[in-house]
Amino acid sequence: MLCQLEGSQAIARAIALCRPKVVCAYPITPQTHIVEGLGELVRSGELSECEFINVESEMAALSVAIGSEAAGVRSYTATSSQGLLYMMEAVYNASGMELPIVMTLGNRTIGAPINIWNDHSDAMSARDAGWMMFFAETNQEALDLHIQAFKIAEKTKNPVMICVDGFILTHAYERVDIPSQEEVDKFLPFYSPEVCLDIEEPLAMGAMVSPDYFMEVRYIAHIKQMKAIETIGSISEEFFQKFKRKSGGFLREYEIDGAETVIVSMGSVAGTIKEVIDELNANGEKIGLLSLICYRPFPADILNKALKNAKKIIVVEKAFAIGIGGFLSREIELAIKDKEIVSVIAGIGGRNITRSMLKECFLQKNNNQSTKFLGLNEGIIEAQ
Amino acid sequence: MNKPFAVVLDASTSLCNKTGSWRTKRPEYITRLPPCNSACPAGENIQQWLYFAIEGKFFDAWKVMVERNPFPAVIGRVCYSMCEKACNRAITDGAVNINLLERSIGDLAIAKGWEFEKNANYPGKKILIIGAGPSGLSAAYFLKKLGHEVTIYDNHKKPGGMMRYGVPRYRLPNNVLDTEIKRIVNFGVKIICDKKIDDICAAIKEFDAVYIAVGASIALKPDVKIESGSNIVDAVGLFQKLENEDKDLPYLGQTVLVCGGGNTAIDAARSSLRLGAKNVKIIYRRTIDDMPANENEIGEALAEGIEILCLRTISKVDKNKIFVDKMNYDREASILSKSGELEILYADSVIFAIGQSVDKDMFSNIEGINVSENGVIEVDENMMTEIPGVFAGGDAISGKRTVTHAIAWGKKASNYIDAYLRSTKVTKPPKNEVITFKRLNVAYYTKNPRKNVFIPMDISFKEKDTSYSGKKIIEEASRCFSCGNCFHCDNCYGYCPDGTIIKHKDGSLEFNYDYCKGCGICASECPCGAIKMIEE
Repeated sequence: MLCQLEGSQAIARAIALCRPKVVCAYPITPQTHIVEGLGELVRSGELSECEFINVESEMAALSVAIGSEAAGVRSYTATSSQGLLYMMEAVYNASGMELPIVMTLGNRTIGAPINIWNDHSDAMSARDAGWMMFFAETNQEALDLHIQAFKIAEKTKNPVMICVDGFILTHAYERVDIPSQEEVDKFLPFYSPEVCLDIEEPLAMGAMVSPDYFMEVRYIAHIKQMKAIETIGSISEEFFQKFKRKSGGFLREYEIDGAETVIVSMGSVAGTIKEVIDELNANGEKIGLLSLICYRPFPADILNKALKNAKKIIVVEKAFAIGIGGFLSREIELAIKDKEIVSVIAGIGGRNITRSMLKECFLQKNNNQSTKFLGLNEGIIEAQ
Repeated sequence: MNKPFAVVLDASTSLCNKTGSWRTKRPEYITRLPPCNSACPAGENIQQWLYFAIEGKFFDAWKVMVERNPFPAVIGRVCYSMCEKACNRAITDGAVNINLLERSIGDLAIAKGWEFEKNANYPGKKILIIGAGPSGLSAAYFLKKLGHEVTIYDNHKKPGGMMRYGVPRYRLPNNVLDTEIKRIVNFGVKIICDKKIDDICAAIKEFDAVYIAVGASIALKPDVKIESGSNIVDAVGLFQKLENEDKDLPYLGQTVLVCGGGNTAIDAARSSLRLGAKNVKIIYRRTIDDMPANENEIGEALAEGIEILCLRTISKVDKNKIFVDKMNYDREASILSKSGELEILYADSVIFAIGQSVDKDMFSNIEGINVSENGVIEVDENMMTEIPGVFAGGDAISGKRTVTHAIAWGKKASNYIDAYLRSTKVTKPPKNEVITFKRLNVAYYTKNPRKNVFIPMDISFKEKDTSYSGKKIIEEASRCFSCGNCFHCDNCYGYCPDGTIIKHKDGSLEFNYDYCKGCGICASECPCGAIKMIEE
């Protein structure tokens, strides 16, 4: 069914179609509309057999989801920014205990100073927590990724985080195609895990593991996630077969054939980049885009293959680590050898990323700087 | 089941880690003495009979009462409820109405005809009790329970002592008293009335032991100048005539002045109203807060229109003209002095209720029984007079003259007499620590304010009927906080973060010290202070 919907509402509808048994979250901008929407769906009865649990913090929100997921029911939560930091201990616990929770991260930067706008700093804080992470480009993809997320998580026994750009996606209205309940039910089976808490057959989850075994536990988790790449690919393919829509997977290519310069980005900024590429390529430039959807597990081989013919790679990234620089560009450097890689830090704390800025940046030749800050106000910097 | 390596373990695996070894303090379920039990002069196990009442086991509740007090229906009416004053619930939303519950269950026992359980025949000794008042009857009951053969002599027409001749009928109807005395007779105690004992020395030869429980029946003479023609009445005499339905009642008139501050003064004033007086005043030397009388009784007297004139004493009575000195009272220094201001009141009669003493004449020619200047019989720490085997108790030896105290003396005397007859010593069981309010966690109790039953009273000698019936007994008894003793609320069980409390099938709880880390949450969340943290 085609609808004109706010991103958050589209996500709420997608979650409801996945029939979670437990939804618990604590409000934080820009994620709030998602769980508000779910709260309304539960109250109205549209989402039935689902417990909407109000909690007092993000830490509790994810902890409740851990409990319910451990008890064997499909569980969902959502957060943003400081909320993710506050729940961080539980974030590691969820993956450590192999609990296939799905969480939406409405991407927002991290204070101080406080700032509620979009960048990917919050997502980057959890990039090493053992969760699978996907970035949505559009509202439609956000909706589709959530439906795939439960299937990926439950099949690989690993939690999944779907990152959606705060405000740009969460609060923007776009046309979305909402699948029917019947279609989703056919795609996503009823969740019934083999291992779960049961008072008749008691188990302990996440108890102490000695140095004799801990490294093995972590190694197994790493291998499992790297292997999950196959599952992600096949689920994305299955989704395409059932819903006739390409969504998810690892990356999306745009004008890549014959491109000398390839831009790499994650999330909604791909829309602006595509427009710039259209304009520049019309004037004879050879620029392509590679929009990375699957960030964890990091699909190094797939990226390597896709970037095989590129001469220059420009990574437009919405987060960086103070003291070293961009995250994504460093990771791409590990996958791609002997190519010029430029890191463009952009959109920090919600700064607009305009076409003219990007145009200028893409056309710059013989660049000495390997890291650029897009639209940096030099006047302010000099004054400091 | 395909369990992820090391992430999911069998539940039993971590039990080998006995975390109890981390503990520095250990919780223990303890028994603290509830304040009601502690305050009861008769030592009733009030909390225990409340437990039974909550369960609707009224017969069991009554059996617990009569372990310490053979007069539940009487005490449920005339006791000044020290238990309720001590009740921890008094601090939050009103004490449990223990007195009314005792009366209600006592009345139920009368209605159902419950009798004392007869014990196996024990070849006991023969004991004579002089005086069938509360102390004498109580001693007789407890001695009979211990297996002795008991005879009571009393010089009145009927047994009961001050319960009959000192407490007005509107507070204690005859049928209630008669039934509870009859139950003691049915139990096997012999009561002989209208019998004066002239020769205690002779009696001691006939009996193995004697208990003198003659009370304090002689009204103290006021130190007041009384001119001839004045109409002076003594309270004790008035009550006795009333009880015996004497046609020759003293003339009280329309305006009555009662002198005294105790319960007898209040009883006399209220009885005067019932005998037709229109204007009754009580005169007392200190303030109303200092009156020894029970505050409920004072309240009811005021409600009936009796006026209490404080800080005054009578210096002279001249016919219907009463000369009064106004007083100054310094409570802190406990100094009472005349202010110098005088007042003249008018009354048709003056009733003196300023205290009683033992009838000294009764013992004047008996060597070994000495009456002190305070008007009490002198006894040793075993309640025995100088004559071996002759004991004394109740109002005759004590200044605390209430029915409840008298019953307590009876019980105490029975133990001393029994020990004397068996040539043993009375051993006192150890007393647990009394639980104070601050040890409770009252937030866990649902607010349920005390409902005071107020039934407007006719000014008559008829008692007002306020006894509770079954469901209401349970409701009121359920207000008990169970201070200091576990009532199986399972708070500890629910709060223990390590799940170390074992719940047995009968509901009892036990700590599993293998895993208790001694955090103390159970103790701090126990509503009734029944868990104590003890240093390891």
